[in-house]
Amino acid sequence: MPSIVEIAVETEGFSTLVAAVQAAGLVDVLATGGPFTVFAPTDDAFAKLPPGTVQTLVDNPPQLARILKYHVVAGSWRKADLSSTDTLTSLESSPIPIRTEPNFEVKNSTVVAADIEADNGVIHVIDNVILMG
Amino acid sequence: MTTATLTATLPPSTHEFSEVIHRLEAGGSMLPDTPDNLKQIIGIYKAYAVPMDFYWRDLLYIAEQVFLNPLPAFKYFISEEYLDRPNAYAGDTADLRIWRGEADAHPELRAFMEKGEVNRKLPKLLHHLWHDRVNMEFAEACMEAMLWHEDINPGFNAYLDSEEYKQNSDRAIRAYFKGNPAMLGLYKLFPEMFLEQVKKLSYYANLGLFWEVMAPVFFEMSDLYDEGKMTTVPEAMEFLVNGIFAVAGRPIYHHVYIDGECYEIIPKSQAFTWLYEAALPYVEAVFYRTAPFRGTKSYNAQAGQIPADQKDFHYGILYADVFPVGSAGIPPTLLMQDMLHFLPDYLVEEYQKHGRGEDDMLIQLGITFQRSMYNVTSAVIQALRTALLYPLDDPNPEHLKANRQFFEQQIDRFKRPEARLRDVQDQSYR
Repeated sequence: MPSIVEIAVETEGFSTLVAAVQAAGLVDVLATGGPFTVFAPTDDAFAKLPPGTVQTLVDNPPQLARILKYHVVAGSWRKADLSSTDTLTSLESSPIPIRTEPNFEVKNSTVVAADIEADNGVIHVIDNVILMG
Repeated sequence: MTTATLTATLPPSTHEFSEVIHRLEAGGSMLPDTPDNLKQIIGIYKAYAVPMDFYWRDLLYIAEQVFLNPLPAFKYFISEEYLDRPNAYAGDTADLRIWRGEADAHPELRAFMEKGEVNRKLPKLLHHLWHDRVNMEFAEACMEAMLWHEDINPGFNAYLDSEEYKQNSDRAIRAYFKGNPAMLGLYKLFPEMFLEQVKKLSYYANLGLFWEVMAPVFFEMSDLYDEGKMTTVPEAMEFLVNGIFAVAGRPIYHHVYIDGECYEIIPKSQAFTWLYEAALPYVEAVFYRTAPFRGTKSYNAQAGQIPADQKDFHYGILYADVFPVGSAGIPPTLLMQDMLHFLPDYLVEEYQKHGRGEDDMLIQLGITFQRSMYNVTSAVIQALRTALLYPLDDPNPEHLKANRQFFEQQIDRFKRPEARLRDVQDQSYR
């Protein structure tokens, strides 16, 4: 089975995320470590951010890595595992609010494709970049 | 932005400030959208940005160069290098160009530093002793509010208490006092005393890096207004929201230069960011809380006028009574006096028509400043809503309800009698 990074690279619509993960130096972590649950924002999700936001982050890898780590949780959490969970703690160490009913929502984003299996975890595709706080 | 969808899906708010809530839900500001309000807030952004251009430069100068000088008598006499230092968000070399102007110190600031109010070219020291200068103490008071209200910046403060930070500081302290056995001996006896000073200097750096962004944002807004490209209060708020997002990820760090060598006390790799470790704590510390004015509240412990919990402090600009500006014990006077020098002509004309004309200009501009900070706070509230909640035209009523709840929570803080939200709704509050 391919790793989280391989899936992101091979699937269309994640080029911004892949570029960000590379700029932040997190490729090795997500390719070999784990298991992780990754909430993966699509290119459209990144495009919703106001102008300049992504550029400033890409110019500053540690700060970008921090935002990306907020999208990653230790352990494999499939949608079914999350039905009785209100929050997960991200690798950034801030909490992520989760709802599975009526819609599968992660903080203020909606999961558009759930439970994509990778050999070191699981990916849920989301329609917004999520932010701490 | 569509009011129609909102009213179709959510019943009207029953909040005491429902009018303001509905305006926020329609993409507006806490400040009503009138041409007079726009003129006032933009004019004062311009007047604020010039002294702010000095504040951020001097804050970084103190954090990076003056450092632990035990007698910092000349800490407000910043070096040429720091006046020329390119702002990271203005000029041709900008990381992300926000203001189209030049990156070094603003020409009006340089002119004021050279000639001052007396309009004569005198040595710096004489301008200083005659108090013909920028009131840098105001910037330091803001820094102290951020330092003292420590519960609002947990990540940053946890690092200031860490072993790593202590080691970084230790290296810098020893290098700074190299060849000074008296200070090194004192450091050995009272290490905490020195460490506390370094923490304070890290807050100098924090606030300096915060204002380095706000100055070009305000300059650009003023230019856009002059060019007729900024025509409503919501547009002015939106510009601020975008400004906040654009630099949200800028690193917050503290570097010290000793004998030409850089000591990284807070390295950029700690991943502290402008939004989380500077902007949001600043707004909470300075706009909402600060410390009670010595001239309006009694610190008498028996009198119980001042809350026991820091989170209940409500002495920031959003609550301040501006009418006693200019009298003793009212700290914002320092800032008002600074802005007075850089008012655009259209605001001076405006003030001459109201109140006591030129005589109470300090108070009139203080109230204008309060208006403008209600607009900045609106931008912060809208930015938080964008970041953490949902778009204003979200089709899902549950999402709109969450937005409504968030706005109501924010506005709840202005229910207390000292808050000036009600006053700024009224154009005759001057």
